[in-house]
Amino acid sequence: MQSNEAQDLAGIKKKLKELLVEDLSLEDIKPEEIGDNEILFGEGLGLDSLDAVEIVVILQRKFGLEVKDLENRKDVFYSIDSLAKYIYENKKKDA
Amino acid sequence: MIRSMDVRKRGNKLGFWFFRTALKLTGLSGAYGLLYIVCLYYLLFDRTAVSASMAYVNRRFKGFSSVRKYQAVYRLFISQGRSLIDRYYVVSGLGRFDIELRGYDRIKRLLDDSKKGIILLTAHVGNWQVTMTALEKLGKTVYLLMSPEENAAVKESLNIDSGNEKVKIISPDNFLGGVIEIMKAIDEGSIVSIMGDRSYGHSTSEVVLLGDRAYFPQSAFSIAAAAGCPVVVLLSAKVSTRKYFLDVSHVMEPRYSSRVKKKEEMEGFIQEYAGVLEDYSAEYPYQWFLFHDIWKGEN
Repeated sequence: MQSNEAQDLAGIKKKLKELLVEDLSLEDIKPEEIGDNEILFGEGLGLDSLDAVEIVVILQRKFGLEVKDLENRKDVFYSIDSLAKYIYENKKKDA
Repeated sequence: MIRSMDVRKRGNKLGFWFFRTALKLTGLSGAYGLLYIVCLYYLLFDRTAVSASMAYVNRRFKGFSSVRKYQAVYRLFISQGRSLIDRYYVVSGLGRFDIELRGYDRIKRLLDDSKKGIILLTAHVGNWQVTMTALEKLGKTVYLLMSPEENAAVKESLNIDSGNEKVKIISPDNFLGGVIEIMKAIDEGSIVSIMGDRSYGHSTSEVVLLGDRAYFPQSAFSIAAAAGCPVVVLLSAKVSTRKYFLDVSHVMEPRYSSRVKKKEEMEGFIQEYAGVLEDYSAEYPYQWFLFHDIWKGEN
């Protein structure tokens, strides 16, 4: 059971990194170079608020999540790890 | 947005009391009359205010002599003063203005035909606070992306940032500039009003405006492209003492064909918007209250 969760999370993280590089047109960065706990906004990966718009769209369109649930969830946008956990938990709820 | 540094620094309770009293005793014309003295004071002694206006005046009135440019600054100050008096006139319930609404059917259709909301792109032109009341009949919640007013006198007198059940404020100081709240509002079919002619430190795109390179914020266009909603340009102008028009007829659908072309295609839409404002300033040169040098790069 534990290994299934770990596997699912790893899969989500891999997909997220690929989508971030592609949809945010991150130049000179390969998906595998993004750390799971790297800070996404400001320092770290250096994303800005317009990149956040794209991330919200990724969460909606690629993972079927609703934007209304993301209000006041600053913690979700901290890193790939926090995003992946949020996606995993919310997709599980829907299943 | 009316919350400019200049207004915040200059407005005080005594000043607002003075204008309020004049308005109550002498009506709009009397209060407007006071502006000629007050604005002359600012023209002569407030170098910061004059130099803040010059970025626009130098470009809009290129062929003018120095004296005529100062006259233009004076007219701009008076025009903005009238706009603030009109705002108070409405907020305090002393009266209303006739508002000629252009483009209402189109905006109504856009909202009726889609579950998504729209982005209303405003600028420092005319008097959007007074004229936007004409959109109440759409029956939609309007979210204004604006910082809370910090000047107590301005806040109290002009009711700048007080929301109600149909008008709500999203602060750009919120996490990620408020984009989560904006996306949610659009998703729910609401109207989000964003200022399009000043970036307030957010990402900008280069445009050609009044013959020079200027910098306009990208946010409204990028958000619209991502959310798949239209951008409706909101223009307003005072056309007589008791009449304004509100124009929402210019609609854009910012989209991009591929990630690679996104930047270039978004810049096309932002340039189109700059063109709309340039046309506006050709017709109403003294109603674009651009007291900030948007021709100087800021990001």
